[in-house]
Amino acid sequence: MVIRSFLLACLPAFLTPVLFGQTDEPTVYVSVFSTKLFVVGAANPQTGMFYQKPSEDTAWHHTGAKNIRANALAVFPGVNGRIRYTASGNGLHRTRDGGQSWKITTGWRITELWAVALDRTDSMNVYIGTAYGIYKSTDMGDTWKQVFTGFVSCVIVDRFDPSILYAATEIGLYKSTDRGETWKRTGLSIDRTRTVTQHPKDPLTLLAGTENHGIYASSDGGKTWEKREAGIDHATFYTIAYDPRDPSIVYAGGYATGVYRSTDGGISWKRTCQGFEVEHIHSLAVDPVNPSRVYAGTMGAGVYRSDDKGKTWRAVGLPGAQVGRIVIER
Amino acid sequence: MKPLLFAALSLLLGACTVQDDPVFDARSTRLLEVVSAENEVSPYVIAAKVRTGKDLEGACLLLDSLTRDRSIGGMFYAYSLIGAYLFTRDELPDSLHAKVRQAFRDRTMYRGDTENHWVMYYTGLYLAAQTWPGEGRDAWFNGKSSEENFQEAAEWLGHWMTMSATIGQGEFDSPTYITTFLTPMIVLHEFAEDHVMKKRARMMLDLLFADFAAEHLEGNYGGGHSRDYPEDIINPLGAPSTMWAWLYFGKPEFAQWEEARYRPRNRGGWETAFGALGSYRLPSMIRSMATDRSEPYVHTETKRVRNIIRLGSEKNPPVYKYTYVTSDYILGSLHGGILQPIQQHTWDVTYVSAKPNNTIFTLHPYSSGKELAMFFPEEIKFLADEVDRYHLVYTSPDKWNSSSPYERTFQYRNTLIVLYNIEKGEIQPHIDGFFPKNLDERVQSEGWILCRAGRVYVALRPVRRGEWIEENVNWRWRSRHLKNGVIVEVGSEQEDGSWENFRASLRSTQLDTSVFNSALSVSYRNRHGIDMRFSFDGIRMLNEKLIHLEDYGFFDGPFIQSERGSGRITLRYGDQSRTLDFNTAEIIE
Repeated sequence: MVIRSFLLACLPAFLTPVLFGQTDEPTVYVSVFSTKLFVVGAANPQTGMFYQKPSEDTAWHHTGAKNIRANALAVFPGVNGRIRYTASGNGLHRTRDGGQSWKITTGWRITELWAVALDRTDSMNVYIGTAYGIYKSTDMGDTWKQVFTGFVSCVIVDRFDPSILYAATEIGLYKSTDRGETWKRTGLSIDRTRTVTQHPKDPLTLLAGTENHGIYASSDGGKTWEKREAGIDHATFYTIAYDPRDPSIVYAGGYATGVYRSTDGGISWKRTCQGFEVEHIHSLAVDPVNPSRVYAGTMGAGVYRSDDKGKTWRAVGLPGAQVGRIVIER
Repeated sequence: MKPLLFAALSLLLGACTVQDDPVFDARSTRLLEVVSAENEVSPYVIAAKVRTGKDLEGACLLLDSLTRDRSIGGMFYAYSLIGAYLFTRDELPDSLHAKVRQAFRDRTMYRGDTENHWVMYYTGLYLAAQTWPGEGRDAWFNGKSSEENFQEAAEWLGHWMTMSATIGQGEFDSPTYITTFLTPMIVLHEFAEDHVMKKRARMMLDLLFADFAAEHLEGNYGGGHSRDYPEDIINPLGAPSTMWAWLYFGKPEFAQWEEARYRPRNRGGWETAFGALGSYRLPSMIRSMATDRSEPYVHTETKRVRNIIRLGSEKNPPVYKYTYVTSDYILGSLHGGILQPIQQHTWDVTYVSAKPNNTIFTLHPYSSGKELAMFFPEEIKFLADEVDRYHLVYTSPDKWNSSSPYERTFQYRNTLIVLYNIEKGEIQPHIDGFFPKNLDERVQSEGWILCRAGRVYVALRPVRRGEWIEENVNWRWRSRHLKNGVIVEVGSEQEDGSWENFRASLRSTQLDTSVFNSALSVSYRNRHGIDMRFSFDGIRMLNEKLIHLEDYGFFDGPFIQSERGSGRITLRYGDQSRTLDFNTAEIIE
């Protein structure tokens, strides 16, 4: 397993689709934190990681541990979903064989995980954000080192420079330039920063969602921030997603927001709620193959999908689920 | 024949380890007779049936059902399944051995997010890993080997025991959740093969029972509680702790145990069956601590707040408890503020009575996403609704449990001052008081609400007026003033003589509220001539001397003494002493 992981890390990206049977249709992964049926200690409806191909429409397959309150997930890119992580209260669950077997890679010292981020250039490097701080692993989660103390909601690794990371925390947005070893607060010191997203083509452009303070944008790697207000009538945003092919299109969701859509890179926004049973949106993801297709994870009504770039939405399964994160991988 | 068979079995099994305690054994036998006659799919019923030899076939069917029911998993299942299995394994067919083993491979045992969850989870994991050693990562639900699981569980259990013995439990003194600490420790003590772990489990049992004993009165768990359910707060003898008190302290009578065990949340009270089956015997001095009320006493404790993960500067601030115990009543209080989310019970007077609802208290029914967010990592805006889904009353204006940032207490013996400072705009702008309808007297006179329950006298003097609302078993006293307070005086026939004497003694009290509006501070001379000055901002003065809550000690009272952080807890009764030294895992007698 270690050898394979090592090989994965070293393989040129163009070889992995051939070796690992990648198909054109992407796979959609979601982490389900809870469902309306959950009762602590008494009823354990399935939660954790689910996945589907878009052509399966409302059908989802469960994988891994069944009732773990999964807040987040990560899929190592380019290996057909063989390396996946689920972040939960139980710890970080890892599979390295496409879901055949899973292991909790953390012990009792690490709990209440809310984020997991991977270094796409080196599968060994894994970062998790928890209620108690950020932990770093350089061996796919076998061992951990705490590198930040505080409540963390979201961690991302810079797409262009894996030594740079951003973390949304209770006391603002933090940045590391040394692979997570040390952290400094950026110019965004808003309490309860909840999410941060990087522009797919411009490494210095970031969008951050906050609790009660709306959306902020930076075009200098986090040094300075501007509040984005045009068209926004809500204050709490848990998720922001760029269209990977056309980054002028951006989606955002949060508390009672439905989905906000921008066509000018996040400067101005327009809201849609059409089709949603519940308008609390916790996760968004754009299909990298067909960017007209956008997924939204709700707090309590499962997964919704738009096939017209966010104009209209319909439920596509997991009714009642609180969906923490959505990841779409080819 | 069957009781005889069980008695013989008990003697045989316990010959080497169990101290003689025929009274406890008689209660155990009686309890197991009741539990073994049930037919619910419950690990406790299964264990009771097998160990009494009453219905092995039925027990096997129940165990089979338990292992097949894929809707259950998690921490409650983890420890109780392995507990039932270890109590019964010698009698089980091979097929059931395999099914129990399989459950720890296929079923996700969720660890949960509270102290009691983790105790149950890691106790289950420890014993399962010990039972099936040397198995690889693919043999366990979490992908860890037997050795990895054993090591992790042993480490955390050791960590928890040390925390509990040095800075206290976060989920302390809970009439409900005491079950979820006692039962895992009973099975850990029973089946841990490592002698140090076994001994530490025994020491934890001594500590948990002693902690309960010091605030126990005739089956009631008196004083402030970290967590309790409304139905048990307003009827203390209905709590699960009553069933443990009956089994180990011999109080109250069996009929009360029968009543309590059928209350829905008590799950039949069948966890106590593990106690009845186990070899742990309560040291007689702890039973004496729980039952000897020949002299009134003050007992203080320092516990800790559950982990604060955000919106706070300290992870586990101290909780200060003050409890006054007599043979007729207990008046106890936590120092106030948010000390536990959701289910805190800050103060009450609980008295001995043949009638239910034997308690009086006040509270501010606070709820907020912010409070929950201090302790739970989920999204703040959804937390209150989420909690309401299973606790049902969290956001209710009428609830009987609450941790409010707007409440503070100051107690000296049988006098208590409670102050409220509710913020403008707060969604519940009132305080409530619980007064059972079955009081022998409840009258209002000269500013006091005067209550008599048999031989116990309780007087409450609100700073601001309230109104009475009739409810099913109680009168609710509600006051809608944001700044408010209550002076509480408790007495008894033994202390005060007649009811008239008690009422007359109140005329000697002096309440000065001249700076209440400006400083939220009161001065009060109680009926024993003691001057108490209390300000909401935390100033507590007794006869002009400043009270430092930090001086309370980890435990300080006639029965238990310990310094916070020392890890050494000394139990005393008469000329007996028993020191639990968690630093060296030694019991020194």
